[in-house]
Amino acid sequence: MSLSNPNLTERSHAALENSVLQGALKAATTTFIERRRDAITSVADWEALRQRARQVKEHTINNLDYYLEQVVEKVEALGGKVFWARTGDDVSRYIIELARARGVKSVVKSKSMATEEIELNHALEAAGVRPVETDLGEYIIQLAHEKPSHIIVPAIHKTRSQISDLFEEKLREGRPNEVAEITAMARKRLRNEFLSAGMGITGANFLIAESGTVVLVENEGNIRLSTQVPKIHVAVVGIEKVIPRFDDLSVFLRLLPRSGTGQKQTAYVSFLNGPRQLESGFEFQLVLMDNGRTRILADEQMRESLYCIRCGACLNVCPVYQKIGGQAYGWIYPGPIGAVISPQLQSLGQSGDLPFASSLCGACRTACPVDINLPDLLLALRAKAKESGAGGKLSESLAMRSVAFAAKRPGLFELGGKVMRGIARLMSKDEKIKSVGFPPLSGWTRYRDLPAPPGGSFRERWKRNRHE
Amino acid sequence: MSNGASLNQNGVLDDVRRALGRSTTVPPVPLDPFIEPLDKAEPGELIARFTEEATAVRAMVYLMSDKLKFAGQIGALVAEICHTAGAKEVALSDSGLISEMNLHEQLTRQGLAVFAPEAASLGHERLVARLANCDLGLTAADYAIAETGTIVLSSDERNALLVSLLPPVHIALVRSSQIAATLGEVISRIGKERISRVGTSRSVTLITGPSRTSDVELVLSIGVHGPKELHLIIIDE
Repeated sequence: MSLSNPNLTERSHAALENSVLQGALKAATTTFIERRRDAITSVADWEALRQRARQVKEHTINNLDYYLEQVVEKVEALGGKVFWARTGDDVSRYIIELARARGVKSVVKSKSMATEEIELNHALEAAGVRPVETDLGEYIIQLAHEKPSHIIVPAIHKTRSQISDLFEEKLREGRPNEVAEITAMARKRLRNEFLSAGMGITGANFLIAESGTVVLVENEGNIRLSTQVPKIHVAVVGIEKVIPRFDDLSVFLRLLPRSGTGQKQTAYVSFLNGPRQLESGFEFQLVLMDNGRTRILADEQMRESLYCIRCGACLNVCPVYQKIGGQAYGWIYPGPIGAVISPQLQSLGQSGDLPFASSLCGACRTACPVDINLPDLLLALRAKAKESGAGGKLSESLAMRSVAFAAKRPGLFELGGKVMRGIARLMSKDEKIKSVGFPPLSGWTRYRDLPAPPGGSFRERWKRNRHE
Repeated sequence: MSNGASLNQNGVLDDVRRALGRSTTVPPVPLDPFIEPLDKAEPGELIARFTEEATAVRAMVYLMSDKLKFAGQIGALVAEICHTAGAKEVALSDSGLISEMNLHEQLTRQGLAVFAPEAASLGHERLVARLANCDLGLTAADYAIAETGTIVLSSDERNALLVSLLPPVHIALVRSSQIAATLGEVISRIGKERISRVGTSRSVTLITGPSRTSDVELVLSIGVHGPKELHLIIIDE
């Protein structure tokens, strides 16, 4: 693994030493894996659905300009407004201006990776507009001033008793002990927020081009309240969320809940078309956000990372995520998909070490409902990181070059092997090397033993055994 | 605001085209439709499947014969659910089925306060505040989906989306003829209605069980922001 940015390593160490987190991660990822496995058996041909979903995404992304134009035309025909945002700042500025123009003091928000990505809440707070997260997990995260650790269950790293403490301290209405009491306390608090907010901000799971429809999938009802109670609804949507037709949707609605939470269907799916009513005061604003996505689009190999439907299945099955959790990834997108899109949406300089945090076991690709080739994308990003120098280390590259030099010269290779084996055997005891005092081997032997190499190379043994 | 919008508008769409290696948009050949295996089930089978799936996600399901509709027995069932839930005030959506069955009068006779809002009379904020104080909401579904135990409500039925959301208990009437086998069938119907009516704003919500969360230690908790109870009365036609 690259050590160019010691932060990932440090964050991982902190996660590994946190026994509460380790317990929570183990329980959560195991449960999700089991629920998903059961849920996908309720579909006759899961693989056919996956491949169809991939085909729809591939087609849409390759014709994104056409479908985006269609979205804009339909939304405007419905009486909605469309704003194109190149950057996260564009989005924040636009929404703040809108809130000011409409005299909005507080906004209710439903869980949205797009607005997390651009840290909209910070911008709103700084501008004197109060954002209230309404998904229970996001509400917990907001009260704790933390970042989400899972795409589907943002507060997965927190135990019930930590949440009880948090509510007692922040809400000052006593200590809720049972999960039901925590839920009831949040319901009561947030109900008032819904009724008094001037604006609801959501993301979108899908945006249907042929009708300009925003599709939102949820369990709690907070998205329904955010979009049906305040008169102004703003949807912040990454440009990759478009699908062409209504008829393309059912495939995704079968894949998403089963992959995400292991449900056949979530409690609510909302289809929203333009402003709710055509009376004055009701508004629908669609913010189409680029924020680095066209950069990904321009790279033909990396383009498929835009197929992601944010289900979180690749997190749960990833042996690295299972041990370090979401916050160790350092940004809002964790797990294998995070390791692929974070360095692209941010930069290799900022998160170019993430693609190295993978064993390339391929479990993520198998779990992915749109069959994104995550291992290959991770490899490609490693190569890019090396080329750009962001993920490289001089000693590593020197070592690789000397191996390459020797490998082309059989005599030298054999001699080198003999010398190395000799040294290694001198350092070993009982066929094991238990501790090495110098890097890079010290990094390995700090946590585990290195088996001592055998007495001869494969080629020597081959020569010997052939004559027996 | 509008200046910024149009500048950005041109910018992002140009970036998209550039990333795709072209300077003008070319309409694509649409994908062939995806043919899902048709699921032809007998009406009785659909009711059974719908009931099983809805019950599995903790909805309460009741099956009533259509003949009981005018005998007032469905009204009596609604009243009973209200009493069991401890509801004092019931909100009604503006549904043909509900008025056809004269439920307003029946529930009033049972001693319940009934709130059947006329859209124009109140104004949005007051309507919302009033509904949030009701104990129970009664609506009628547009469609239902047997595969997942889902009901479909739309804003065509005035106030249905708020009446089914704000009170802590929701009762929905479902005609057995509205139950489709699969999600695909219903999505395709919703789509057709919507595309043929461009210019009309229309929201639709699929509802599968009561509101729920597993955000704390993955423990299931029912009734976060939406209703804690969902009662589905199937009227067997």
